[in-house]
Amino acid sequence: MTAKHTAGTAATDPAASPDRGPDSDRGPDSDGKRVQRPAAEVRYAAELARLRADDQGERPPGWGLSLRAARRFILGDEQAGISRKFVGDPSLIDRALVSLATSRGLMLVGEPGTAKSLLSELLAAAVSGDSTLTIQGGAATTEDQIKYSWNYALLVAEGPSTKSLVPAPLYRGMTEGRVVRFEEITRCPLEVQDCLLSPLSDRVLAVPELSGEDALVFAREGFNVIATANTRDRGVNEMSAALKRRFNFETVFAITDFATELALVEQEATHLLQGSGVTVPPRRDVLEVLVTAFRELRDGKTDRGDAMERLSSVMSTAEAVAVAHAVGLRGWFLRGDAGTAADIVECLAGTAAKDNSEDLAKLRTYLEQHAQRRKGDQWQELYDSRHRLPG
Amino acid sequence: MTSPEKVSEQPIGNLTVIGVRHHSPACAGLVREAIERLRPAHVLIEGPSDMNDRIGEFLLGHELPVAVFTSVRDGMTARGSWSPFCEYSPEWVALTDGTRAGAEVRFIDLPAWDPAFLTLTNRYADAELRFTQVVADLCRQFGMDNLDSLWDHLAEIEASDTPAAELTERLNTYFDLVRTASDADRAEPAPDEPTSDEIRERYMARWISAALRQSPDRPVLVVCGGFHRPALLRLAASYPYAEWPTPTPIDAESAVSYLVPYSFKRLDAFDGYQSGMPSPEYYQRLWDLGPRAAATALTEEVVQRLRKRKQRVSTADLIAARVTGEGLAAVRGHRHPARADLLDGLVSALVEEALDQPLPWTGRRALAPGTHPAVVEMVAALSGDQVGRLHADTPLPPLVHDAEAELERHGLTGQNSVTLDLTVADERDASRLLHRLRVLRIPGYDRVSGPDPAAEDSTFTEEWRITAEQDRLAALIEAGGYGPTVELAATARLGEHVRSGGGLEVSARALFDAVLCGIEDLSAEVLTALAMSVGGGKEVEPLGEVLAAVLGLWRHDRLLDAQQSATLGTVIVVAVDRLLWLVESAPGSPGSPAQPRRIAAVRAVRDAMRHAASRLGLDPVRALEVMARIADNAEAGADMRGAAFGFGWSLGSPSSDAERTIRAAGTPASLGDWLSGLFALAREQCLQEASVLPVLNDLVTAMTDRDVLVALPALRQAFAYFPPRERETIAGQVLRLYGVEGSARSLVRGGADDPIALARGRELDSHVQAVLEREGLLR
Repeated sequence: MTAKHTAGTAATDPAASPDRGPDSDRGPDSDGKRVQRPAAEVRYAAELARLRADDQGERPPGWGLSLRAARRFILGDEQAGISRKFVGDPSLIDRALVSLATSRGLMLVGEPGTAKSLLSELLAAAVSGDSTLTIQGGAATTEDQIKYSWNYALLVAEGPSTKSLVPAPLYRGMTEGRVVRFEEITRCPLEVQDCLLSPLSDRVLAVPELSGEDALVFAREGFNVIATANTRDRGVNEMSAALKRRFNFETVFAITDFATELALVEQEATHLLQGSGVTVPPRRDVLEVLVTAFRELRDGKTDRGDAMERLSSVMSTAEAVAVAHAVGLRGWFLRGDAGTAADIVECLAGTAAKDNSEDLAKLRTYLEQHAQRRKGDQWQELYDSRHRLPG
Repeated sequence: MTSPEKVSEQPIGNLTVIGVRHHSPACAGLVREAIERLRPAHVLIEGPSDMNDRIGEFLLGHELPVAVFTSVRDGMTARGSWSPFCEYSPEWVALTDGTRAGAEVRFIDLPAWDPAFLTLTNRYADAELRFTQVVADLCRQFGMDNLDSLWDHLAEIEASDTPAAELTERLNTYFDLVRTASDADRAEPAPDEPTSDEIRERYMARWISAALRQSPDRPVLVVCGGFHRPALLRLAASYPYAEWPTPTPIDAESAVSYLVPYSFKRLDAFDGYQSGMPSPEYYQRLWDLGPRAAATALTEEVVQRLRKRKQRVSTADLIAARVTGEGLAAVRGHRHPARADLLDGLVSALVEEALDQPLPWTGRRALAPGTHPAVVEMVAALSGDQVGRLHADTPLPPLVHDAEAELERHGLTGQNSVTLDLTVADERDASRLLHRLRVLRIPGYDRVSGPDPAAEDSTFTEEWRITAEQDRLAALIEAGGYGPTVELAATARLGEHVRSGGGLEVSARALFDAVLCGIEDLSAEVLTALAMSVGGGKEVEPLGEVLAAVLGLWRHDRLLDAQQSATLGTVIVVAVDRLLWLVESAPGSPGSPAQPRRIAAVRAVRDAMRHAASRLGLDPVRALEVMARIADNAEAGADMRGAAFGFGWSLGSPSSDAERTIRAAGTPASLGDWLSGLFALAREQCLQEASVLPVLNDLVTAMTDRDVLVALPALRQAFAYFPPRERETIAGQVLRLYGVEGSARSLVRGGADDPIALARGRELDSHVQAVLEREGLLR
């Protein structure tokens, strides 16, 4: 299991634990084995069904839920037994849903580890009841993987026809009226991205190989595109202005509230540690130091308001969970305890500073300058362990 | 503990308490309706009761917004508190409509000099913000980002379509809930000690009790913060007081309240616990035009602002903004688009890239640097730039009188120019007064010449030019908002300057202004801002200069009385911290020549460690560790390595291996640079340590001729750190090394005395210069 799917700003992600989800109807697959991570609409099938049944609101054409029900699905509703699945500003969800209901696509941008992909999955599950029409962007992504390709045996034998055409997510999304997810769109070359232009603006996809009615695929109601992009990747590939215009941009930020982030890190780290066979839960005071340090290094500002250097590497909640996991593992398997602040220092060098010597220097300054001033045993220990940083 | 049900069960027949959110148009509407319906005998308003004798001043016909500004001075501390009013403030409507309806209108809250206001600079801040947990829970339940959108959802957006009774009921439920939760919170730690809220409530309840007894048969209307309503109802029912409370005595050295012109910008600038309703321009339009027209007008305003800034806003964008806004309103269950719907719609449609900062309206934050320019314009449009103006008959703020009196006292009225000797106490005071006026931007006071705290050599006299400017009086009245006296006003002005951001240069200027003005007690808040801007400095050299100058003042200054100032101390601490980081993170590159300013910065840190470490709590261990790392860092510039080594040595850390270190210092090309750093910091140690000179002599002797030529300029620069007398000592030692008896002085002077050689050298120099210029190699 990668950190990608366990943390970020995800609230409760029961995929992380096969026994823990609110939905008990998630049975084993046909071959009797559980899948590692079922799609959102499968994980939360019961909640979706309940919401669909009670849904009084107007549904935009082609949508599985009304906007308000979709909002409750993501933000949660304690009284109705709907779990909170995303921690963040409710207004972000409102704007995202309204964007999807208009004629523009939705572009989720933000730092890595802010749960953009999870949010896009939840939105697709809420709107279409299906989050699997997904295109994973990358340097090698081609138009074939986005629009459609051909079954070449049939193509040679029978010529181009809808039978020999192999639909890709965009084609299916348009014909079936569903939401298509495009992950990491800026990792694709510019010209490949631009094949989204006419599907987004004219809502039509041309299939020049076919003739007659089949040559143009008109999008059914309910079709739209959710794309995600990392702000750190901006340099890899830009987006054309034409395509930008067809998207509404929503920036997903790291969790602003300390208590919320701490709770999330604690929950996810505890779970990961259980999965790794560690029987003691992580210590809360150690996690507090860890989360505080992460937030300060991420924002370039201490709790007191002192300006300090931001690390250039990603200090996301997901990374914090990864460090908390590593701290717990070190403590348990090396000494048999729950992990201490000294372990944080050792783990930070590898996970936070990676191979960037500048970040390492910033980290050292942070430990020397800020850790010392804090009250508490764990802060003192963090300060005392500063020499454990390599270099 | 009073539960919400109990409160509403015990109404007093003729008492109506309208719990409002300050600056809420919906609540202002409720107040207007209640006054029309009840025609009350008394209208009691949460406001500064010290202004009760001067209610007439409010009704002269000002252009709003205006505020009651109370400044309190107690010993060394000064603070100000504002009670701002705009046209849609429920308190303002109560005041004006109540007077018009023939009611007796009174303010019933404690004056702002009361200790209950010690930490409150905005009387009309949202009290519930101090109890974040309840508000957070409510927001979560309603799926709202924060109190502001929750409030719009509950109150503003449907105020015009909802019957007054229903809206009142809804708001009372809300406030009762907040109050109950906050009472529960606070019951635990110290139930006996009344909070400042409780002190104020007891005081307000006495006024209510008196009004009820004086007019037992006629309606009494109270307009107060909704947070206080449950407590006021409970207390008023039990109080037996029939007399108006006597005015509370001033619990401070001096305290004055004055009406000052206010502005929407300032109203919107309160943050944290001091903040109230945001976006005054939006709510003004809501009050004037209703929600739909307000949204349309402000969309237009935003678009115009953006187009003025040459931002592209197409018709399609406008349609998208409109559609998204309406869509959001529908999702959130609003009949008309509310403030957040409007802003969210605009941002969805107009911003086509990733944001660097979260949207300010999602989290009640002040605008952070790096906020998207379109977002800045949106916030600015909804904030508005309306500025209040006082009626001509309004009594002038005391600052005007204070300035006149002070100028008179120092004999500065009617002067055209004046020269002041700063060593004379009286004249120094006059100089301070002029500096304060200058800081307050009162036109007509210009300093022609005088000492500069940042410069090393200084004069003791100051020359001023004084001119009679037309808008001098207007400027003084405006500055009156900063405080009642020139000193307080200048203090506040400097504080604002520092807090406005603007980096190291602005802060350093403000700091020196503070010294020139003789202002010592900058508030803690300002000190923090100052520390932050110094701590955010990005370059070693200017920060080093600031540190050196500040340290000099802190240690020695008697002329301007800045010795041992706490303000300067704060700056020293922060600058040292910051410099240690900057020096370590950017210690130059191995090939770069010695840079005296950079070396001076390290020396400034050393001086701070040497002279201020114990008094200011600096951490020498950390500094030594940092410097030891730089000294060993092969990637660092030679001058910085030398300086870092000298840093440790001069503070007495490593001295035994000086000889080895010098031997390892570098190639002929970098030796001089390394020595520059070393000599700048540890000149005395080098002279005392007998082995230094022989080692250097060895190194230089071992150089080839070419090496010597390469090394010479930098070596020369390095030895320039020794004053002539010490150079002579060194020369003597060198002579002794070679067993030569002779005059060290003549050796140091060399041939420089020979006029012919000198002339020849000059001629050669100018020839080289000319050749270089001719070939275009030098400009």
